[in-house]
Amino acid sequence: MRPSPQASDTAVTASRPAPDTVGEPAGAPLDGPAEHTGAASVLTVPVVQLLGIGKRFGAVRACDDVSLRVRAGEIHGLLGENGAGKSTLMKILLGLVVPDTGRIVLRGSETTIADPSAAAAHGISMVHQHFSLVDRLSVWENVVLGDRGRVDRDRARKSVREVGDRYGLRVDPDACVEDLSTGERQRVEIVKCLRRDPGVLILDEPTSVLTLEESRELFTVLRRVVADEGKAVILISHKLDEIVHATDRVTIMRQGRVVARRATADTDVRALAREMVGRELSKWTAASAVGALDALIEPGTGEPTGGTAVLDVREPEAAPAPKPRPAAGEVRLRITDAHARAADRRPLLRGLSLEVRAGEILGIAGVEGNGQAALGDLLSSLLPLDAGRVEVCGGAVAAGRPGAMHAAGVGVVPEDRHVSGCVLDMSVAENLMMADLSSVTSRGLLSRRRMAERARRLIEEFEIATPSPDTPMRQLSGGNQQKVVLARELAGRPQVLVAAQPTRGLDIGAIEYMTERLHAAAREGIAVLLLSTELGEILTLSHRVAVIHRGAVVGEMDRADVDTERLGLMMGGQAA
Amino acid sequence: MTSTSGTLISEPPPAVAAPEPVERRRPRLADLGTPLLYLLSLSTALALAGLLIALVGQSPWDAANAMYDGSLADGAAIGQSIDQAAPLLLVAVGSVIAARAGIFNIGQEGQLLVGAAVGAAIALFTPGPGPLVLILALLGAAVGGALWAGIAALLFYWRGVAVVISTLLLIFVANQAVSYAVNSPSLLREKAVAGQVTTSQTDMLAESVWLPRIGEYPDFNIGAGIFVALVLAVGTSLVLVRTRLGFRLRMLGLNPKAAHRAGVGAVLVGGGALLASGAFAGLAGGVMLTGNGHRMQDGFADNVGFDGLLVALVARDKPMLAVPVALFFGALRAGGGFLSATGVPRYIVAVVTALMVLATVFPAAYAEVRRRRTAGAA
Repeated sequence: MRPSPQASDTAVTASRPAPDTVGEPAGAPLDGPAEHTGAASVLTVPVVQLLGIGKRFGAVRACDDVSLRVRAGEIHGLLGENGAGKSTLMKILLGLVVPDTGRIVLRGSETTIADPSAAAAHGISMVHQHFSLVDRLSVWENVVLGDRGRVDRDRARKSVREVGDRYGLRVDPDACVEDLSTGERQRVEIVKCLRRDPGVLILDEPTSVLTLEESRELFTVLRRVVADEGKAVILISHKLDEIVHATDRVTIMRQGRVVARRATADTDVRALAREMVGRELSKWTAASAVGALDALIEPGTGEPTGGTAVLDVREPEAAPAPKPRPAAGEVRLRITDAHARAADRRPLLRGLSLEVRAGEILGIAGVEGNGQAALGDLLSSLLPLDAGRVEVCGGAVAAGRPGAMHAAGVGVVPEDRHVSGCVLDMSVAENLMMADLSSVTSRGLLSRRRMAERARRLIEEFEIATPSPDTPMRQLSGGNQQKVVLARELAGRPQVLVAAQPTRGLDIGAIEYMTERLHAAAREGIAVLLLSTELGEILTLSHRVAVIHRGAVVGEMDRADVDTERLGLMMGGQAA
Repeated sequence: MTSTSGTLISEPPPAVAAPEPVERRRPRLADLGTPLLYLLSLSTALALAGLLIALVGQSPWDAANAMYDGSLADGAAIGQSIDQAAPLLLVAVGSVIAARAGIFNIGQEGQLLVGAAVGAAIALFTPGPGPLVLILALLGAAVGGALWAGIAALLFYWRGVAVVISTLLLIFVANQAVSYAVNSPSLLREKAVAGQVTTSQTDMLAESVWLPRIGEYPDFNIGAGIFVALVLAVGTSLVLVRTRLGFRLRMLGLNPKAAHRAGVGAVLVGGGALLASGAFAGLAGGVMLTGNGHRMQDGFADNVGFDGLLVALVARDKPMLAVPVALFFGALRAGGGFLSATGVPRYIVAVVTALMVLATVFPAAYAEVRRRRTAGAA
């Protein structure tokens, strides 16, 4: 983990070549939805053409007359909010979904892609947002998983190293996947794809789990993939900044339709945001969503004013900017010198201390894997301490005892909400009540009536989109699962609310919602602890920022005094 | 599997507050298929069974008649089937409790045996009025089964030994231990009567500690065991669905992490579920002892533990669904017993029963595979 001294730059500054090196024939028609002109000259027959693709799921039109052309040697951005149809389109290209209408043309010849193996045979390969790795296996074992024939350990390890060297993807073939950080796991996924030497590489929201530094490295790798080898890369994203910095051309989708096609050099974040969402966004939401740090950094003022180069400011009403620290309340959560180890004796926390006061949001900034997960687990009663203490409202809480933190008034919206935040096979109503059963039981019996009442109230209050309270949690979208977890935790009237990566993987609308809810929680006097690896999110939300490094808090500052240079150094472990 | 289906489903519904409209599609053959599928797989199994019986030189028709005579033909046969179903149901309900808590106890055969041995000891050596001794014997059987399962629980929560393995291996230990007790004159072996050679079995229980029977042979007659089993099945179902304890137990089974977060102690609730499932198996042993054989001898458990486990599997961990399934399996066992009395070799009877089990499991398994396929494609 190297420090990222350029953290004050806009999020991602991969080495995009100058526009003139991009294989973009002058005057090629790029805009206009559903344009069907034979744009491609002989020189640049698109590797992939999806023409007039339509797909319905029941009453939902996931794709409606969508056309996409991707050329060799380009990084093509596919931009759109969650539910815009990006994933469906890619699943069609991968043979996971059969389109109702439309044609697929690969390298000039019309093709049908019946299943994923056919897609693989055509050289189409995808790195999914949720990794499909086996934690207990080593890297090389994961890479050869699915191959046919004899397993040749040495050759597999060699090929992992070769691919790694060729593209600058450093990964140890013998490491066990469960010991790897998220960024490293993603590298394994990419190696897995690249080893099969695909012509087209698709990445689905690749940076949603990466730090700034890792994102930069990823885009350097991608640039190498397209520039040196003439492959095509399709980058699915809803982060405008990375689209602007990493792609050559971009196709923008909204509600199942293509609304625009642009050469990236001719557009900017603001225009893209407008096209993606279909309206102007408030500055704060947009800045947070796209990770445009410039917009957030105006040292010396707690509440930045004025527009910036990238983002137009519509007066922020919905998502208020963080005020300078409100009148400090009493200390709600105090962790003193916490030490903890993982099951394999690896140290997780090394003397972590922090305090969160009523009514403030304390943001914990840091590179992923520096103890954020352990801190979240500690406050979820999942991690016992070797030494140190946790106090909530002045009273000591036994770390690691089931439910102790919750009983003491700590609400947690965990990072992996669908893994440990909820029970996917239970209904929405059941998920809404599982933390405080006492409110819906009498003498050990559950009251159906009270359960339903409570569920209806919370579903309405938190605007959870669900067909009914009895719908299984599994059928909800990620954003709504998140809302259910948040609703449950806030309904318990917590003293302290811990939000870990609260907006990871969410679309702009959902981010807006979460941002507002966390602010509201702080306004109501709850002490909010925000764990995030996205600096933009920390800076948008926090009143105070603490930096975590190697399991300890190494520095702290008021939001108003934030200097990203210093923050970056501290995140990299250098005293500043 | 969790992560894939999560990915696949989380995307399509756009963020609108309106509920997603119910998807309509044309009815397909597969929709009306379930009863059809059962019919098909049962008749295939029957045909195969007939073929096998013909191969060993018996008449399939006679065999079918014998199966029918043994399980359904008259009151006495039906009573036999129900008697066979009672311990199966008890074992099954216990398995369901453990499975719902996310623990796979497969050692019911051993827990049943230990339970029966404890029950026998109490029934034989406790003085007192019959009904009281009977109740004590049944409770003792439950406690015996629970303690036997408790060894597995202890090994798991103290040392991390997988429950599947420890419960399975403890069956063999139970076999040997109980066999030793039944063979030792100082323990459970029958007391010598002058001029009589003892065999490796316990004394017959006094008639006062037998489970009461309803009805008269040769007409319809059943032991009280089935009522005990039914009451416990209904009770378990209610506890699982309607109570706080049941909710916490299900939560533990579905997501241990979320459960821990919400204050469900894995050791207490999970260990408790394992003990409860052992208790149910032990009670099944007690019911078999006091209801049918009235004494312990070699081969006492007779696969009831494993068959009960199968009942739970076929019933997909639903206690109320386990009732009809247990009755079906009971009928198979009763019919199978009768069949072996007609000269069809015992192992063929076992194969025929196994075919029937496969036939009943197949449609559910097929539906599950289909469901995963379609989930994978959407």
